[in-house]
Amino acid sequence: MVRRLALVLAALMIAAPAHAQQQKLTLLLDWFVNPDHGPLFVAQERGYFNEAGLAVEMIAPSDPNDPPKLVAAGRADLAISYQPQLTIQAAEGLPLTRIATLVATPLNSLVTLRDGPIKSIADLKGKKIGFSVGGFEDALLKAMLEKHGLKLGDVTLININFALSPALLAGRVDAVIGAFRNFELNQLDIEGKPGRAFYVEEEGVPTYDELIVVANKARAGDPLFRRFVDAVERGTTWMINHPQEGFQLFIKGRKDLDNELNRRAWAATLPRFAHSPAALDRARYERFAEFLKAQGLIKQTAPVESYAIELR
Amino acid sequence: MPHPLIADPRAGAPPAVSVHAARLDYGGAALFDALDFTLPAGRWTCLLGPSGVGKTTLLRLIAGLEAPVGDTRIVAGDGQPLAGRIAWMGQQDLLLPWLSALDNALLGSRLRGDGDPDRERRGVAIELLIRVGLGGRLAARPSALSGGQRQRVALVRTLMEDRPVILMDEPFSGLDSITRWKLQDLAAELLAGRTVLLVTHDPREALRLGDTVHVMAGRPARLDQAWELGGPTPRPLDDPALLAREGELIRRLAAAAEA
Amino acid sequence: MKAVLRALLVFAGLCLLWQALVVTTGLPAYILPPPTRVFAALVGRADFLLSHALLTLAEIVLGMLSGVVLGVASALTLASVPTARRWLLPVLVVSQAIPVFALAPLLVLWLGYGMASKVAMATLIIYFPVTSAFYDGLRHSERGWLDLARVMGATGGRELLHVRVPAALPGLASGLRVAAVVAPIGAVIGEWVGASAGLGYIMLQANARMQIDVMFAALLVLGVMAVALYYGLDAALRRFIPWLPQSLPVSSKE
Repeated sequence: MVRRLALVLAALMIAAPAHAQQQKLTLLLDWFVNPDHGPLFVAQERGYFNEAGLAVEMIAPSDPNDPPKLVAAGRADLAISYQPQLTIQAAEGLPLTRIATLVATPLNSLVTLRDGPIKSIADLKGKKIGFSVGGFEDALLKAMLEKHGLKLGDVTLININFALSPALLAGRVDAVIGAFRNFELNQLDIEGKPGRAFYVEEEGVPTYDELIVVANKARAGDPLFRRFVDAVERGTTWMINHPQEGFQLFIKGRKDLDNELNRRAWAATLPRFAHSPAALDRARYERFAEFLKAQGLIKQTAPVESYAIELR
Repeated sequence: MPHPLIADPRAGAPPAVSVHAARLDYGGAALFDALDFTLPAGRWTCLLGPSGVGKTTLLRLIAGLEAPVGDTRIVAGDGQPLAGRIAWMGQQDLLLPWLSALDNALLGSRLRGDGDPDRERRGVAIELLIRVGLGGRLAARPSALSGGQRQRVALVRTLMEDRPVILMDEPFSGLDSITRWKLQDLAAELLAGRTVLLVTHDPREALRLGDTVHVMAGRPARLDQAWELGGPTPRPLDDPALLAREGELIRRLAAAAEA
Repeated sequence: MKAVLRALLVFAGLCLLWQALVVTTGLPAYILPPPTRVFAALVGRADFLLSHALLTLAEIVLGMLSGVVLGVASALTLASVPTARRWLLPVLVVSQAIPVFALAPLLVLWLGYGMASKVAMATLIIYFPVTSAFYDGLRHSERGWLDLARVMGATGGRELLHVRVPAALPGLASGLRVAAVVAPIGAVIGEWVGASAGLGYIMLQANARMQIDVMFAALLVLGVMAVALYYGLDAALRRFIPWLPQSLPVSSKE
């Protein structure tokens, strides 16, 4: 599906009057293709990558933990990752650096069923909370619970892998953490059992970038990357100006993406894309690193420049 | 000398066994057809013939291991049903590898669900095993016994069945000469007086043990005229009459092979 | 004793090879950590790993027990009831053909996130090997023994119990050996799909937190458990089925 896109692009490039040779770039997505990747596909379809002299191949991974490792190992150029995970990975010594932000707000939320007994976080005492193993859910949850006078021990954490909505709908858990507010909430709506979301940044967790682009530190100065980020910026801008057409470009040639969930998610994600993907707010990254350290997920905070840069 | 607890065959009179119009097909052709054959009561009959002629199949037919086809009838001379009156000794000793020699000898009770053999029955089995020279190997598993020893256990097992009709399919063929002769003597002694059909490919064995000898030949197979041999069995190896007959028997077998 | 020493030597050799691999290929620690770091993690988190290991072990053992009971019962049914063959055999084949990780989420949804779903996974994964091995053994009993049993007057049930079942035990033993090696996979997949404890869960968690040395340490513990289970079972089988025909004389004397 995504590879077909790349092939189509390659064919187009051969057909088009030859410019300078297009430079290849492999971009590993964080998950299967979804509206969070809007700007990338719009940039692709509008030819912005092409105009920047780039041939971008986008690959969806089977294991979301792989992309950063592969970029760190030099097997791929770029990966979509998450600011919290990057902070932890950098602390473990992976030679990664953030070069752009894709989604500039958190998407993570604690979700329960709206018509269920849980009306506030305090009601979670003694209840079961489902999560996917992302590495730091318990830290998020701890902060959120503490804000409401609860401890982590007051709830039961159950790893439900990525089946968040089914577990909630089946009543196997009372709440889930790690649900993306633009995605899972719409999924629940469509199933006729709307959810009630508690947003992490409103409940004691410092705000952060949900989706970022990471590269190998050794190649941070590569001019290729600035051109890439500029193209993404163009894609974002166009999308915000032309939301409906943007969705059409997103599903162009990818029939399996044309569904109600994606349509709703598209609208929900639109306001959250970084308007200035290259821009970096140092203090924001520092603040979040301090939070992770206080939660015991990392031992030391490193200077932000060592794992996040603003490209020139 | 039969053991007092094993029925004296002469008292219970083992029956003659007659096979009438036997027919069996194999691979589309008739192995034998309209075959008539009688085992004289209380005597040893030996059956020889080239490989593949159908000797084992005939034996299995009589044992009830092959279903009779067409007009085939197998009847006992005294009119009683044959089922439950036959004991079987195969080419292999057929000892169960997970049972001791003693338990193998007592296999019949185990398989028929007669309950644990009582002390008397156990005693009989032990005595017979001692008699065949296995007194020190009662608890041994078959893997620890030689071929000859295993066949001796099989012989005791057959005897413990205490049945009037004994069917044997080349039981000593896998053994070396000396062991074979010893076992022939033992079998002749212990199974004396029962109706026995022994299938063998060894002419000398047939002449040593048989009161009657048949050669089976042809396709469809037929049995030749019964050759009555007189005198007590087992006949000694150096008996000149035996040696003379051997030549004659081998000639008959050769002729059968060409038939 | 000698067998244990030999196993340790092989293990040490593999570790040396592993170290050499890391050094020569220059693989980073977050992809393949060197054995030194893995052992450090093993020692440093010993009780943590142990408590989770015991849980996974319990899942494996229970899964094996229920899988074996189910398998033996199925094989006996197939061997004695002809109509069962028509209906049960396809079920058996399907149970093997479906990739277990496709079934895992269903099992977790039905049986919950506790031990039940993991035990069910392990049971499912060994059901076919055990049943098939035992059934084959029952089917292919020595013809001579069956003939003898028939002439002796044994009923079908007696023949099954006293001849065919004991004769099929070596076949069952091979099925059990396969099961011992494969059951851990079932338990771990079950944990991946939905669990908050156990070695599979540890591996997942450690991987997500980029603690690859801990992940490998858990993997190592799992491997050792599986090997120990195999050899333990093998020893028990040799004890209970001592008449197993051995074509290659092996360490039964040691």
